[in-house]
Amino acid sequence: MADEGYTRDDENIEEEEVDETSFRAVKDAVLFAIDVSSSMLKPRLSEDPKKPGQESPTSAALKCAYHLMQQRIISNPHDMIGVLLYGTESSKFYDEDGERGGDISYPHCHLFTDLDIPSSEEVKELRALAEDAEEARKVLVPSKERVSMANVLFCANQIFTSKAPNFLSRRLFIVTDDDNPHGDSKSLRSAATVRARDLYDLGVNIELFPISRPDHEFDTSKFYDDIIYKTSPSDGEAPAYLQPDTNTSTAKGDGISLLNSLLSSINSRSVPRRSLFSNVPLEIGPNFKISVNGYLLLKRQEPARSCYVWLGGETPQIVKGITTQMADDTAQTVEKTEIRKAYKFGGEQVAFTPEELHALRNFGDPVIRIIGFKPLSSLPIWANVKHPSFIYPSEEDYVGSTRVFSALQQKLLKDQKMALVWFIPRKNAAPVVAAMIAGEEKIDENGVQKVPPGMWIIPLPFADDVRQNPESTMNVSPDALTDAMREIIGQLQLPKGVYEPLKYPNPALQWHYRILQALALDEDHPGEPEDKTKPKYRQIDKRAGDYVLAWSEQLDAAFDKMFGGTAATKSTLVKRGPKDSADSAGGPSAKRVKTEGGAGGVDEEVKRCYEKGTVSKLTLPVLKEFLTAHGRSAAGKKADLVDRVEQFFETN
Amino acid sequence: MAEKEATVYIVDVGKSMGERRHGRSVTDLEWAMQYVWDRITTTVATGRKTATVGVVALRSDETSNDLQEDTSFSKISVLQNLGQVLMPDIRRLRDAIKPSQTNRGDAISSVIIAIQMINTYTKKLKYKRKIVLVTNGTGPMNNEQLEEIQKKIEDDGIELVVLGADFDDAEFGVKEEDKDMHKAENETLLRVFAEGCGGVFGTLEQAVSELEVPRIKVTKSMPSFKGFLSLGDSSKYETALRIPVERYFRTYVAKPPSASSFALRSGGQGQEEAEAGAGQSTSGGEALTTVRMSRTYQINDESAPGGKVDVERDDLAKGYEYGRTAVHISQTDENITTLETFAGLEIIGFVHMSKYDRYLHMANTNVIIPQRANDKASLALSSLIHGIYEQDSYAVARLVAKEAKPPTIVLLAPSIEADYECLIEVTLPFAEDVRSYRFPPLDKVVTVSGKIVTEHRNLPNEDLQQAMSDYVDKMELDEEELPIDDSYSPLLHRIESAVRYRAVHPNDPILEPSEQLTKFAHPDKQLVRKAKGSLENLMSAANVKKVPPKTKGRKRLRETEKPLSGLDIDALLKQEPKRTKISAENAIPEFKQMLSRADSLDIIREAVKQMASIIETQIKHSLGDANYDRVVEGLGTMREELVDYEEPTLYNDFLTSLKGKILGEELGGDRTELWWLVRKSKLGLIDQTTSEVSKVTEDEAKEFFSAT
Repeated sequence: MADEGYTRDDENIEEEEVDETSFRAVKDAVLFAIDVSSSMLKPRLSEDPKKPGQESPTSAALKCAYHLMQQRIISNPHDMIGVLLYGTESSKFYDEDGERGGDISYPHCHLFTDLDIPSSEEVKELRALAEDAEEARKVLVPSKERVSMANVLFCANQIFTSKAPNFLSRRLFIVTDDDNPHGDSKSLRSAATVRARDLYDLGVNIELFPISRPDHEFDTSKFYDDIIYKTSPSDGEAPAYLQPDTNTSTAKGDGISLLNSLLSSINSRSVPRRSLFSNVPLEIGPNFKISVNGYLLLKRQEPARSCYVWLGGETPQIVKGITTQMADDTAQTVEKTEIRKAYKFGGEQVAFTPEELHALRNFGDPVIRIIGFKPLSSLPIWANVKHPSFIYPSEEDYVGSTRVFSALQQKLLKDQKMALVWFIPRKNAAPVVAAMIAGEEKIDENGVQKVPPGMWIIPLPFADDVRQNPESTMNVSPDALTDAMREIIGQLQLPKGVYEPLKYPNPALQWHYRILQALALDEDHPGEPEDKTKPKYRQIDKRAGDYVLAWSEQLDAAFDKMFGGTAATKSTLVKRGPKDSADSAGGPSAKRVKTEGGAGGVDEEVKRCYEKGTVSKLTLPVLKEFLTAHGRSAAGKKADLVDRVEQFFETN
Repeated sequence: MAEKEATVYIVDVGKSMGERRHGRSVTDLEWAMQYVWDRITTTVATGRKTATVGVVALRSDETSNDLQEDTSFSKISVLQNLGQVLMPDIRRLRDAIKPSQTNRGDAISSVIIAIQMINTYTKKLKYKRKIVLVTNGTGPMNNEQLEEIQKKIEDDGIELVVLGADFDDAEFGVKEEDKDMHKAENETLLRVFAEGCGGVFGTLEQAVSELEVPRIKVTKSMPSFKGFLSLGDSSKYETALRIPVERYFRTYVAKPPSASSFALRSGGQGQEEAEAGAGQSTSGGEALTTVRMSRTYQINDESAPGGKVDVERDDLAKGYEYGRTAVHISQTDENITTLETFAGLEIIGFVHMSKYDRYLHMANTNVIIPQRANDKASLALSSLIHGIYEQDSYAVARLVAKEAKPPTIVLLAPSIEADYECLIEVTLPFAEDVRSYRFPPLDKVVTVSGKIVTEHRNLPNEDLQQAMSDYVDKMELDEEELPIDDSYSPLLHRIESAVRYRAVHPNDPILEPSEQLTKFAHPDKQLVRKAKGSLENLMSAANVKKVPPKTKGRKRLRETEKPLSGLDIDALLKQEPKRTKISAENAIPEFKQMLSRADSLDIIREAVKQMASIIETQIKHSLGDANYDRVVEGLGTMREELVDYEEPTLYNDFLTSLKGKILGEELGGDRTELWWLVRKSKLGLIDQTTSEVSKVTEDEAKEFFSAT
């Protein structure tokens, strides 16, 4: 157990997003500042008669905050989130002793969820606020007097300063429909701009989610252009401020579409940009370098590992495990500096000094070195070993990097070419040979960028990583049979012929957290899991059913023709029971002859035995075949298999 | 299970093997041993008991073999009987294999001894039998009864390999000028002898040069899924289609061997042993002992000293974190969070080949082939493979490899070769796997006002585009395919060969990686020469300027410190009357602003002084480690700013004084943990590599942290 954890940590080092230069903790804190005014609270009815409902901008914002909170518990379990309501009648902030309480130093600022890693209670409270009107009515009361934006900003400043010190990324999400909170009051305006500057100097990035009023387009030039800065303080190098966001993604319209566009806009900023490696030279030719940053845009999200919980106290508490290393001979604790690494060889250990080990792993400084170009088509579909890295130019080391990178990216896109590169992402990382391909920018229907423009580095397998193809029987499909299959394929194109990852949440991951949430919040068991990865069986039947039957006939015909009389005796494919037809499409004919009792297939035989209560009389191979055919595990003793078969019929 | 092996190496150690020939820096024996050691250590590295090796010395000073009664077998010594070779054997062999004082000893007789060894050891069992003879061919050789011996070798199924120093090999291109008559005769004899029994005869130079080429371990794949590839739900619809298939790795990353942790054996014992040269357990000269892990568990308890108490393993239950709440899961509910799934590969739909983005590949690839010995399945799968291919499509499917395993979404791509058909399968990303970081477009610049600009310093002009296009075309690689088959994992092979080399040469330094491993580290020289002109054009059109390290990380341009409107906030700040003293609650912004307004060194000094006192107060009032992160942030900000303002001494002086106060426990007791944090955050003295005007050297900065 401990051992396992240790090696896993070792592997993870490769993938961690590191910032070697900064003293700051690589963590993110998001504080929502949601405007609670009468116009923000006014429900907007849905214009779409098919989707009736209503939503006020404030409740839409709260729903987004709740959604983001839930999502971040899964994706960023160590990052913080908080909700500050402003313009409320009530005020709530920390007391002298750090606890929250009614404080008047920030009037009409109500810290609803303190900035922290959310607890289950906070999730519950926020959900209640977002969904339960009863609860909401108590808190969501707009104040009669106008709130000072300077106060709101300084209140946020204090929350960040005390709750998220030293975080690499701190972001204030302002959701409002008021583009000019202080009108002509010069002093209030300038106080707000000064407080905004404080936040900038503190390293807090303000992100605005403007909402247009039905009769009034949100105009950032009235006030917010003085509040928001061009560069993000934590990511100052990249020209991060993407103008289209404020212009095109102003949320407007009725309640539901408002909620949706706000969600899409917030989702696209749910995680702060963290680089995987920074300012690595991209060597285009000898003595010609530009600099790029690397990012992980695609990375398998796994559920957090289980941990130990101590149950001795009032509330369960997470236990911190501490591993110490001990010398086997003396049982004394060994310090890290005393550890030597050695390789097992010939019954003993072959040791190297730490310096030698270091030298062995060193193949030079980090670099992406182009060693030539090839047509994109020469990159085989099978030549892949892991997820790609994304690169984007940086001007930090070489001025002019962006234009050169752009020229290269456009050329590769236009001519459908790729570069072959020697790739060392960071100091002491193992070098790989990789394909560098250009990626186009993609924009979604709300005008929000879906895939950024740049280049992707795809590590290629080495000869050592390529496995031999296993032996296999080959019977090339005759044209008629292939044509029958083409008909089926033609019926079942995914929308636009594209795989859209965002349509497929990971069902196992979602279920894991759904259950945890139910346990944590004391909810009822959620019942059936939602699994969008399951094929749409009804549609498949409706659209392609007839073509499948036609194909099946072609298959039988082709098979008869190729294998003659032998096949005829094996095949009972003409008569189709609901289950039988399943096997008809190339069931394990050879085996089936052996195991078939009478006319029916294994399924029927097993079913008969189940009905007679004689499943245990079946032979092991029959049980195994049946279970495997139904996707059940066929491991274990015979009694286990019998149990599993009986269970299958009971639940189906 | 790999086949059992019995290999006997016959090494010619005759006096003449100690000579250096043809300007080589190594003796014939050393040269021969490069090959022999590489082979032996490769076998040892497998760690297999059934991979046995024997070693025979030919033309040795002594005679020691089972047939030594017969004088024709004199001057032949069995150094190592067949068996698994371990480190002590390697050490013994290393000492034993030295050039002898004699040139007597018959090579053919040594082969007979090797045959005898193999027969005795392997009996009639199934073995891969092999004899390797390495010689310079200058010794005596008896040509009697050769046919009989050849027949024996063939009958026993032994593979004979004869390698000779400077043996002529027209194919490889070795021809020894002025070859000695006797040696020429021997070469002919050995060639006839080896080739006459299905063996191999070769020149040593070729064998040694081939050592450079890394050997690839062939791994037999096991199926990772056996079940149905289906379209539709067969339990509900009679139009469902199912094909029994199997899934195997197509690619899988071969990991370099992993090192284990050891501790130096306590006491000076290790040293003594090493000096004595006997019984040392490693080749590094240090005696090592294995390391065990021991785990203890702690919880926070504010009442306890140090705020933490140990808890027993038995009082713990399994659980998960939901936010900062611990969710405990009782043993009976252990799988409660596991999604119920059943094994299967189900097609979801089809996508256009041309609309698939290759970078969506998330992992290694697999092949999907029809169930073994099932012609109908193979025919059905073939129609799918060809159908997808002809429709210019890929299939997208949901894969559950085993019951109760999490589903993944995979891409299925057709692969059609003359003699092999399969689907290539690779994992696709889920929604959660996609991180939407946004970046500005590369082909246009959108200004603050929303205007689209196509000419900009960040955009290539036509010259640059043309130059880039020419260069890319010139640097086109000729080879038809990507060089996957002759690219070898550099780290894996370097470590493996270093371990093998160290085992035999414990006192030699580690070697540079072989050329084969870094073959793709640089573009081909010829190609570079060809593209030289284009590259020069490109470089001048690009006009890229390296940022001098001095100005790197320097304060950002003033312009970017303004809000979008361009409003001059600094002017506003100057009007703020109260901002002359840094307040504790808004320290960082006010410190930065005070510096940016400073028009004299005195003000900078004053700002640092105020900030320093705020930091010290924070430390003094910190309950346990409560304020430590704020302190680190304050220190870090101060350090960054003072590097920018080229006033490193102000920071260094403060840090030195702070160190004294912390270690002297003047700031509210024991704050060593804070000091450790400062160290970990790399907030030490600003040295000359960071700031040119610093008086502190790199070594002094290091020393500052290590001295207490």
